[in-house]
Amino acid sequence: MLRNDFKLAWRNLLKNRFFSLINILGLATGLACFILITLYVTDELSYDRYNEKASRIYRVNSDIIFGTTELKLAVSSDPMGATLKKDYPQVEEFARLYTSSGSKLIKKGNVFINEGNVGHADSTFFRVFTVPAISGNTNTALNEPNTVVVTKSAALKYFGTTDVIGKTIETNDNNGTLYKITAVVKDIPTNSHFHFDFIFSMDNVDYNFGNYLSHNFQTYLLLKEGTDPKEFDKKFIEFTDRYVLPQAKQFMQVNSMEEFRQAGNKLEYHLMPLTDIHLRSDRVAEISVNGNIQYVYIFSAVALFILLIACINFMNLSTARSANRAKEVGIRKVLGTERKTLIRQFLTESTTVALLSLLLAIGIALLALPYFNRISGKEMSWTLMTTTGFLLLLVILPVVIGLLAGIYPSFYLSAFKPIMVLKGKINAGAKRSTLRSVLVIFQFATSIILIVGTIIVYRQLNYIQNKKIGFNKEQVLLIEGTGALGNNNQAFRNEVMRIAGVKSVATGGFLPVSNSSRNDNTFSKEAVMDSKNGFNMQVWRIDENYIPLMGMEMAMGRNFSKEFKTDSSAVIINETTASILGYDNPVGKKIYTSDVNDPAQSIEYNIVGVVKNFNFESMKQQIGALCFRLGDAYWETAFKVDPANMKQLVSQVEKEWTKLAPSYPFSYKFLDESFNNMYRAEQRAGQVALSFSVLAIVIACLGLFGLASFMAEQRTKEIGVRKVLGASMNNIVSMLSRDFLRLVLVSAVFAIPLSWFIMHRWLENFAYRVNISWWVFLLAAILAVVIALLTISFQTVKAALTNPVDSLRSE
Amino acid sequence: MIKITGLEKIYRTEEVETVALNKLSFEVKEGEFVAVMGPSGCGKSTLLNILGLLDDPDAGSFLFNGIEVAKFNERKRADLRKHNIGFVFQSFNLIDELTVFENVELPLIYTGVKTSERKKIVENVLDKMQIMHRRNHYPQQLSGGQQQRVAVARAVVNNPKLILADEPTGNLDSSNGNEVMQLLTDLNEQGTTIIMVTHSEHDARYSHRVIRMLDGQTVMENIMA
Repeated sequence: MLRNDFKLAWRNLLKNRFFSLINILGLATGLACFILITLYVTDELSYDRYNEKASRIYRVNSDIIFGTTELKLAVSSDPMGATLKKDYPQVEEFARLYTSSGSKLIKKGNVFINEGNVGHADSTFFRVFTVPAISGNTNTALNEPNTVVVTKSAALKYFGTTDVIGKTIETNDNNGTLYKITAVVKDIPTNSHFHFDFIFSMDNVDYNFGNYLSHNFQTYLLLKEGTDPKEFDKKFIEFTDRYVLPQAKQFMQVNSMEEFRQAGNKLEYHLMPLTDIHLRSDRVAEISVNGNIQYVYIFSAVALFILLIACINFMNLSTARSANRAKEVGIRKVLGTERKTLIRQFLTESTTVALLSLLLAIGIALLALPYFNRISGKEMSWTLMTTTGFLLLLVILPVVIGLLAGIYPSFYLSAFKPIMVLKGKINAGAKRSTLRSVLVIFQFATSIILIVGTIIVYRQLNYIQNKKIGFNKEQVLLIEGTGALGNNNQAFRNEVMRIAGVKSVATGGFLPVSNSSRNDNTFSKEAVMDSKNGFNMQVWRIDENYIPLMGMEMAMGRNFSKEFKTDSSAVIINETTASILGYDNPVGKKIYTSDVNDPAQSIEYNIVGVVKNFNFESMKQQIGALCFRLGDAYWETAFKVDPANMKQLVSQVEKEWTKLAPSYPFSYKFLDESFNNMYRAEQRAGQVALSFSVLAIVIACLGLFGLASFMAEQRTKEIGVRKVLGASMNNIVSMLSRDFLRLVLVSAVFAIPLSWFIMHRWLENFAYRVNISWWVFLLAAILAVVIALLTISFQTVKAALTNPVDSLRSE
Repeated sequence: MIKITGLEKIYRTEEVETVALNKLSFEVKEGEFVAVMGPSGCGKSTLLNILGLLDDPDAGSFLFNGIEVAKFNERKRADLRKHNIGFVFQSFNLIDELTVFENVELPLIYTGVKTSERKKIVENVLDKMQIMHRRNHYPQQLSGGQQQRVAVARAVVNNPKLILADEPTGNLDSSNGNEVMQLLTDLNEQGTTIIMVTHSEHDARYSHRVIRMLDGQTVMENIMA
């Protein structure tokens, strides 16, 4: 019986090749998108869940306002973890990470290699996180100074074997600290918010420990089973009163946290679940660039919508075609086929098509995976598709789709009264169905939303690239690790300046792009700091060439100069700082900070100039308070260069480097690339949105194409009559197009407010953003109309060109 | 009004070549009522399509009001057709989605008559055909005779000089059929030329002249009394 059903289903597919092809292709493309996005979403949601105790691990986040914009930090103070463990029994364990050094040079043979995935951790790190050991005992591995735990990959890279316990590695810490390898661990999974290859002992961190006011350590707490993190959050208030306040009193006049808060300041700590870090945290001092839950939501919605569009096509075409099969149903019924049998036949047919589509979809998804990985910035392997949950989904999906798509036509058709059908009285009703119109509206509304979304994402990206950012990011070559040159630094600069095409040189340690070195400190307007006149500010060390090289402009006053001996105590502030200070002309005024060695003493600085505001973080953030001081941020060096013959220029620079620092790696980057990297997530989102919008529209059009050809077929006779009565080709084409146009316009009415709402929310991520102009919606609607018209034009023109004699001959 | 000479039409498929019209010649004068008869497949419908400017002949001459139209292109034929020729079909060919009024109005829309004027003309015609009371009904709600009356109304609404009727009574019972034949006769008496293809000797008797066809040629012409 079932075999017979499949045979009939197959024959019907072949008989209506054209519709079958549209059906299968559309559904397969939709399913393929769905599969890819599901992989993406599953991967994003899986971050850090490999930790066995993931549900009990929390990171301490700090929210600080001190006289200026709010600082949202992923780091907290160094004594925080130990103090919390001592005072509160709910804390089972804590572990800190210190990654401020960013990267280390590690010696392999005679050459140093720059390693980015390095960090210092407490010995308790392995008790909190699940990183299985291959050899050595991770519980004790970091107990002593000068110890390091390496991953399998790192061991293989440096020693060619994992049998490395007891061997030493040399780093550039303090000009060559040696670390003893005490354990080898498995590589940390890709879906982790940190990816260390080397974990060094915390004891080697050169830091003024015991300071509650500096926030430089990622602190993770492992809470005991059953602890409510919301309740625990409240403990931070008494923690602040007991430990932070006494230290704060030493260098500023503040009597209580209450007073501190009333002056508009803030110092709060909150627990963030480990599993939220990747998707819900975008703070200062994150260990790696995180994902964004918004994109997970958006992409999930897109996946669902694409799948829906494809399913709708499937249903639309099936029900539309049902009219053509009414006669078959009538004859079968006359011959005694039961309704039950008919329903089963139709359901078998639709499920067969869905299954065929799934097979094709898996093929498409496999082929598209490398491309998808590239645009989404993932490294997903096809093996992700072989997890049980996913396989189950892949089996259930086509059955559900097949049944959903088959149910309506099967019940509808099988309910036909044979006499009516054979007399041809059914056709009229099947031609125009409200359900079908609603479905088409849904498809086009979705397409319009996707078009609007894509346009706005691209406009915002374009805005960011071209906005006046207050400095010139072009043609700046940055040589990294120039600290390794030591005393040869000046010689290197001189040699490079001789190369043709190199225009100027400056220190490049502090850069106006995210993930560069940062240094902030508290300052005050008066010599005695209190909670009203104090504020937090970035302090960047630059030389007198920096401002002109970066193309920054002075609003008031002057740049640093070698001619002024007093410039060692001079500062140049930005416009934000100027407005915090509130002076009409801040040049000549003073600002104060406390002496690190004696907090009771204050140091004064003379303001010599005001630099025009420039964006030094991503445009998601407002421009904060910043000042420049004269100094040598030697670890990176910036050269302004002529872009012609860049390759040759860089190789000449490398030659100079190799002469002066033969055992250190030569590494360079361009400022504009670093700038663009800040918006990698948005660029990816843009590309993914564009790709899937195009696909969604293609699928919707495929359905429209099928539907249009069906409509034209249904109305062949009417078109013939109209032509006989004098209708021109234009009359016919516009008549057929009008119906579809009406649907597309109704879709626009639904889509425009919805897309406005969604994109408005997205743009709120940016402190600096484009306005949503009305023409975007108009353009999207026009695009949808044009696309719809083009899609159906082939069918309508064909129908209009048909000689009426042919369509009326059937009599 | 119509003069055809040596008209030929051949249908070709990959394997067979069917001669539908074989050097056919005849003339129809203005105001005549001519019936065309012959067995199935003798070329009646092909002839009617060519006369109705829906199809073009492969060879021969077709003078319509003294103008050679055999080589007219689609657009010119359509233009000539919508102003001069009305059609009545065996299966009525009314458009299901349009009301009686809208069906009759259609040819006027395509010839660009203004809305207000259209209303007057259509109502006038519907009145004449005695189906005014059904103006807002849909074709499926009408009897066969009523449907054909609507079809005739639609055929004459543009005041064509020529009406081509393709077995107009073929789907009707005898009383409804007679009614429709009477309508055509009335129209003819008011000056409209009518060419009607029919299988019915009874209907043919309403005409002035019968052209009998076989294998694409005229075999006989009878003048009816």
